[in-house]
Amino acid sequence: MREMFYSHAIREAIAEEMERDPNVFLLGEDVAEYGGAFKVTQGLVGQFGKGRIRNTPICENSFVGVAVGAAMLGMRPVVDIMFQDFITLAMDQIVNHASKIHYMYGGQLSVPIVIRTPAGGGRCYGPTHSQSLEAWFMHVPGLKVAAPATAHDAKGMLKAAIRDNNPVVFVESKLLYGQKGLVPEEDYVVPLGQARVVREGEHLTLIAYSRMVGEAERAATALDREGISCEVIDLRTLAPLDLQSIADSVVKTGRAVVVEEGCLTGGVGAEVSAQIVENCFDYLNAPVQRVAALDVAVPCADALERAALPDAGKVMATVRQLMQKYG
Amino acid sequence: MPELTLLQAISQALWEEMERDERVIILGEDVGRAGGVFVLTKGFQERFGEDRVFDTPLSEGGIIGASIGLALNGLLPVAEIQFVDFIYPGFDLIVNEMAKMRYRTGGQYSVPLVIRTPYGGGIRGGHYHSQSPEAYFAHTAGLKVVIPSNPYDAKGLLLSAIRDPDPVIFMEPKKIYRAVKGDVPEDDYAIPLGKAHVVREGKDVTLIGYGAMLHTCVESAETVAREGVSCDVIDLRTILPYDLNAILTSVEKTGRLIIVHEAPRTGGFGAEIAAEVAERAFLSLESPIIRVTGYDTPFPYALEDVYLPDARAVVKAIHQSMSF
Repeated sequence: MREMFYSHAIREAIAEEMERDPNVFLLGEDVAEYGGAFKVTQGLVGQFGKGRIRNTPICENSFVGVAVGAAMLGMRPVVDIMFQDFITLAMDQIVNHASKIHYMYGGQLSVPIVIRTPAGGGRCYGPTHSQSLEAWFMHVPGLKVAAPATAHDAKGMLKAAIRDNNPVVFVESKLLYGQKGLVPEEDYVVPLGQARVVREGEHLTLIAYSRMVGEAERAATALDREGISCEVIDLRTLAPLDLQSIADSVVKTGRAVVVEEGCLTGGVGAEVSAQIVENCFDYLNAPVQRVAALDVAVPCADALERAALPDAGKVMATVRQLMQKYG
Repeated sequence: MPELTLLQAISQALWEEMERDERVIILGEDVGRAGGVFVLTKGFQERFGEDRVFDTPLSEGGIIGASIGLALNGLLPVAEIQFVDFIYPGFDLIVNEMAKMRYRTGGQYSVPLVIRTPYGGGIRGGHYHSQSPEAYFAHTAGLKVVIPSNPYDAKGLLLSAIRDPDPVIFMEPKKIYRAVKGDVPEDDYAIPLGKAHVVREGKDVTLIGYGAMLHTCVESAETVAREGVSCDVIDLRTILPYDLNAILTSVEKTGRLIIVHEAPRTGGFGAEIAAEVAERAFLSLESPIIRVTGYDTPFPYALEDVYLPDARAVVKAIHQSMSF
């Protein structure tokens, strides 16, 4: 094991998969010499050349479209959407093409494409560089959605995504890029669709993904000192959801709080909560709560951004209230 | 009162509002000379001229972007996206510009724009002419989303949408454009956005639907009424902001909730309703909330009847809920 930045783990996954499979190539804005907006792909052009690390014009719909076409013909493109906010420009290619082609061609073709995209706020980037839009992609049949929370999972899940024969939206976190974690030396894959129990507990289940896993863990540590024992589940993959792991935990604890960085209404927490209510109804001792961003554009100003986005403190407040009323 | 189809009621609302307010304009693919792919704006260009009713290139981003600019400069555009399946090329304009303009300009500007767009299955349109993407818009702060189920509401809701100072996505259930008829007053009336309508009262189960699925809910309620099960049927009418109070009032009475929509289940708008009701009416619920929805697949061409929720599926869900 080595300690490694989340961003470097992603770079290593791309490099190793490019070494392993000549069909893997990377494309996106400024991914070559510049190394990507967050330096995730720095150095790859030196190793693999401009044929396999391709800069594109600023036109998300066209380069996702190019990648879909390449994937249909046997390549395994990894597309970089510089900020998740810009994925809105490629929605047609993602929703109407990448996700549907396998179905439209009766399984004769598939689209093994990975769309990497950094989401989330916390850097005062404002309304069009801070969004967390992953809930949309859960609602697109034919897509997988991965959202790793650690360097270990970022590497292992990206490898799984690149090897997957179907389209994967790979949600990265801008704030996690600079976080370090232990990463094995040897080749490994973290299969998509499997959640991870980060911490065991008995009173309540905190369900989170991506950057919010760390916030949930911090909340759990602090709440432990108050005598509230939280189990923390990292969903890791949003589509397909690992309902078994969620249900196993909620059946044990009887209480659940879902934490996400996207807006509350119609968010990931809505689906998770609806599933818990459907499948664990008799085991619930308290209503499932959601901690999410306010239903507003993500503000620029630091204080307002902090007010709009969820954090460990807001998770703790929700849990305390829940335990007080339904403990 | 004259009896109109849903399509005629929408057409009448547009016509009357264009007569009343010269700031109202219509743009979209084939809305002018051809009168629209569903012939909804037939005769409009002759009456109101090419400056107020005009055809655009096949560029949804262009239609929506131009409309945002026109709205910012004092007009009240009603843009048509021919099928909602084609709205994705305009997503960036909707999500990053239209929905956020009021916020980003500190309230100095708003975008009084209505995007009208036919949605849903039931016309053998296959996967590019049958989608129900309301959940994406419901997850976009700054938008309003409206879906009428009958001619009377369609006219009143569309008039409210055009007069609203902020952007509204007005989704029209094309399956029932001509199939559903009803009395529509010729005078001016507006139905406020954000208010649901209890179309049938009952005490055992709450059914929530909107658009074409509202009629499936009513049909299901009529079926189980013969077995002695009575349903509250709620027509949501506005998806965002949705009328949570009307839903909670009903669920607190019945203790059982079934939500019906055409869109795929996972991440659909039913999830939001279920989550919010389960949170706020936890102690009132006597059985799990059930979602009767489309499958998590692209919309099928050949298997459309299997894919779309029907009364049989809803009745089965009612039985399941009642026997829990």
